[in-house]
Amino acid sequence: MKLTLQIWRQPSAEADGNFEIYTVGGVSEDMSFLEMIDQLNRQIVLDGGEPVAFDHDCREGICGMCSMVINGEVHGPIKGTTTCQLHMRSFKDGAKIVIEPFRAKAFPVVKDLAVDRSAFDAIITAGGFITSRTGSAPDGNAILVPKEDADQAMDAAACIGCGGCVAACPNAAAMLFTAAKVTHLGSLPQGQPERRARALSMVQEMDSQGFGNCTNERECEAACPKEISVMTIAQMNRDYLRASIAGDEA
Amino acid sequence: MLGHLKQALSASIGKKAWMAVSGLLLVGFLVTHLAGNLLYFADDDGSIFNAYAEALSSNPLLPIAELILATLFLAHIALGVRVSMENRAAREVPYHAKAAHGGRTTASRSMMITGLIVLIFLIIHILDFRLDPKAHDDMAGAVQAKLSSGRGALTYGVGVAALGLHLSHAIASAFHTLGLNHPKYDSILQTAGRGLAVVIALGFLAFPIYIYFSGGAA
Amino acid sequence: MSAFNSQLNSHSPTGPIEDRWTNHRFDLNLINPANRRKFKVIVVGTGLAGGSAAATLAEMGYEVTSFCIQDSPRRAHSIAAQGGINASKNYQNDGDSTYRLFYDTVKGGDFRARESNVYRLAQVSGQIIDQCAAQGVPFAREYGGYLANRSFGGAQVSRTFYARGQTGQQLLIGAYSALMRQVSAGKVELLPRREMVELVTVDGVASGVVVRNLITGEYERHAADAVLLCTGGYGNVFFLSTNAQASNVTAAWRCHKKGAYFANPCFTQIHPTCIPVSGDHQSKLTLMSESLRNDGRVWVPAKAGDTRAPADIPESERDYYLERRYPSFGNLVPRDVASRASKLECDEGRGIGNTGLAVYLDFADAIKRDGEDAIRQRYGNLFQMYQMITGEDPYRTPMRIFPAVHYTMGGLWVDYNLQTTVPGLFALGEANFSDHGANRLGASALMQGLSDGYFVAPATITAHLASGNVKRVSIDHPAFEEAEAHAKARSNKLLSIQGGRTVEGLHRDLGQIMWDMVGMSRSGAGLRDAISQIRALREEFWSEVRVPGENSHLNPSLEKAGRVADFMEFGELMAQDALNREESCGGHFREEHQTEDGEAARNDEDFSYAAAWEHQGVDKEASLNKEDLTFEYVKPSTRSYK
Repeated sequence: MKLTLQIWRQPSAEADGNFEIYTVGGVSEDMSFLEMIDQLNRQIVLDGGEPVAFDHDCREGICGMCSMVINGEVHGPIKGTTTCQLHMRSFKDGAKIVIEPFRAKAFPVVKDLAVDRSAFDAIITAGGFITSRTGSAPDGNAILVPKEDADQAMDAAACIGCGGCVAACPNAAAMLFTAAKVTHLGSLPQGQPERRARALSMVQEMDSQGFGNCTNERECEAACPKEISVMTIAQMNRDYLRASIAGDEA
Repeated sequence: MLGHLKQALSASIGKKAWMAVSGLLLVGFLVTHLAGNLLYFADDDGSIFNAYAEALSSNPLLPIAELILATLFLAHIALGVRVSMENRAAREVPYHAKAAHGGRTTASRSMMITGLIVLIFLIIHILDFRLDPKAHDDMAGAVQAKLSSGRGALTYGVGVAALGLHLSHAIASAFHTLGLNHPKYDSILQTAGRGLAVVIALGFLAFPIYIYFSGGAA
Repeated sequence: MSAFNSQLNSHSPTGPIEDRWTNHRFDLNLINPANRRKFKVIVVGTGLAGGSAAATLAEMGYEVTSFCIQDSPRRAHSIAAQGGINASKNYQNDGDSTYRLFYDTVKGGDFRARESNVYRLAQVSGQIIDQCAAQGVPFAREYGGYLANRSFGGAQVSRTFYARGQTGQQLLIGAYSALMRQVSAGKVELLPRREMVELVTVDGVASGVVVRNLITGEYERHAADAVLLCTGGYGNVFFLSTNAQASNVTAAWRCHKKGAYFANPCFTQIHPTCIPVSGDHQSKLTLMSESLRNDGRVWVPAKAGDTRAPADIPESERDYYLERRYPSFGNLVPRDVASRASKLECDEGRGIGNTGLAVYLDFADAIKRDGEDAIRQRYGNLFQMYQMITGEDPYRTPMRIFPAVHYTMGGLWVDYNLQTTVPGLFALGEANFSDHGANRLGASALMQGLSDGYFVAPATITAHLASGNVKRVSIDHPAFEEAEAHAKARSNKLLSIQGGRTVEGLHRDLGQIMWDMVGMSRSGAGLRDAISQIRALREEFWSEVRVPGENSHLNPSLEKAGRVADFMEFGELMAQDALNREESCGGHFREEHQTEDGEAARNDEDFSYAAAWEHQGVDKEASLNKEDLTFEYVKPSTRSYK
């Protein structure tokens, strides 16, 4: 296969960026999308240029590091996958592919296609945990968790923190990410003591990081590689409002 | 004392919750407004409808109700504009290639536009029937006069259609924002929200359509 | 052969094995809570070991600085572990116990692990589950709300706890959330996108590190009273492995060059069920869960060079070689045995697919027996993953599988306190060598990482800090100057070569040498050849590599070049260790040492020791130090799966 790529190049966070056009040949349909970029980078390096910087690590869809918008679609055209799991057989020979970084004010571009997602860490730091110091835990079976609750928690906990929800959201909101954590911990008995305070403080931090507001358009759910449901957002709204009305402290 | 409520209002979910509450109250108003309006079809000479209009405008509580309504509208609009501006600011550089992922709908995309159309329509509507003293003498006649003209019918048709589109996203969305949704009820909520939007829109559309095509006889 | 240096002291306690950890812990010195804030600890890496250690040390009151190479601690490669985590809770009442987990692990490791360590691991395994459940790890549950278990990797008891197929992810997120809680409490300074490039020692004691800020390219100095290395394994020396792209040996190797011994580097685990290589473009291999072998039958065409489609090969012309060779275990033989058997078939020309480097894993019989729905229920997500990567439907046509490098049992040598031969430098998790011997059992890696991080290191590091043998210096100390200058010079050298080969291409060549000669099956001649080839390739690397860009900004090529440069040195040590170990055990198979029917022949007489290598300089042979392994409880026996 031979492809034309239109890729966002930006030397650093401060510098201006622009699109560059590349042609890459010898693409096999068995290649993953990232291996196709590897191929392009080999070509660029041997031609004396600087390769396209992009984030990636596990290349099996679990670390959440890869982050590309391909022809306007977060993680590309296949539902429920990350960019690294996308294979070139999903594209036609001769196709033109536009590749952009995740776009959000809260995710500034670091270089080319790599962005800074530390805003997510800040949201977790604000309350995405259960306070349980090492050594103080009771026996694992001392806390019973109904299977349905454990399953619901697991559905939400499947989030890989890639930021695809933010990138896909028309408003660059981080609701799905934040809600997934609020729902994960709030669905479990262990998470109840801090449940309301957690919702308050995580939402406050989310706001202060410069993400947008939710308009319930569900683009996040549609783009999420782990197909996390927007019902988690309803749950977070509930927890947050309950805490606000009760006047809880964050 | 209620500092926490103020704080909640300024947060993203807080703003959205106030929009949802104001929006749902406005939907409640629309339903009663529609119910009252349907009296127009109750008899041939419009006397029942006129009696209803008279009772409404002479009610001493009306100014209070109007004040509340106006506040709801203004709050809803102000919050909507503010949220929209923040949303725009949250993505400074737009995407070059644009594609939807399958979540957005025409209604959800155009909330600001339909909202704006409804606002303009609302102003026209208030000028036509609330602030025009002539209308108060014979409300049924005023309605008939306004809607039997092509321009009037079209204005009302467009305004109400925009309202319907706005509501078809808004109703279920408001419940979701207030946390009143669950995987088990989501599809029911979506259908019910759209259904109510259609009922309200068709109910109000009945007036321009009927009056325009029947040449005005009530 | 290498010079034999000295006998290493593991500081392993004596006495009844079940009391050793308790007694040892009592003997360890403590530090008053109010005084702990005076001590600073550096933790490199935020996987299960690093994340849990940093969080726990901070909870105890120490000042912790935590580094990770990714943009967030949550992305460490522990996240990719699928199957589960073992613990001897005996919730299933099927006869499990601390002693049985200890016994299974020592035996599974083919008698090359330290008994005291393994017992301790089994002992704290239950506490790990308690800790993780309290943190909100959504373990699978029974309908009554109790924790669910499954049997894993051929174990006779159900002792594996799991969270769907994402156990590693969930445990890591648990550790990460505990870590972030300490960040919010101000006890942990978290520095992501940093790569440790030098260990700083003062008078032979670990005093800090130099890291490179991957965004700005700046070299940053950090001084501390103890340094914990939690940087994972070295599987990427093979270029292709199931490891993440950033997994590397650099941090451990730089410590090795500063005096930390490297133990048993030749012990690598090759997992039998991975998706085969599809072409030269391949950048990584994807693991398919071991559970597939419960229902899939492994076969190859009986005749070499048979290129017919699998459906066209009649039953009589297929060779179900695992069932044939191991009638009692069949397709469920341990990982090392299954891997070697498929290599043998491919070596003899019966491999399938374009490359001839794959075998079939066929579900046709299972589908016929149990129905497609039952198979979908059991393996639906795996089949889907397979189809996504290969474009083939495993419900219709057999899967193609091949072994891939998955885990490395070797690592920095540590004593019972997890301290390396450099005082003040500790190694945790996959980065150390301690608990798995020559082969790791399924669902034991997660257990070890968390055992080290939550429970062992916090106790032993306290004792180190209390010992007074710490060298806390200012970052202006000449040792820091020197380390930073060294790191800078290295980067500048890499950038200045501007040869004609990419870093990736050279890495791929190294991987090929390692896979061919230091992989599943090794011979003396092959290993000697490998050493000379690696040396030649290393020379080529330093004269031909092309690293684009500059040091002063995000430069993935430069990062990778530094890591590959270290692999070029490390690969040689691996080959040397494999050459030294004149026996076959666990993941290490020497062709000269096999039984008549081709099974591994262990030599307890001469090789019942951990080989801890001491760096003597690049291009010089490392010298060997031995830690004799004695087995007081589990007496060495031969594994048989016939």
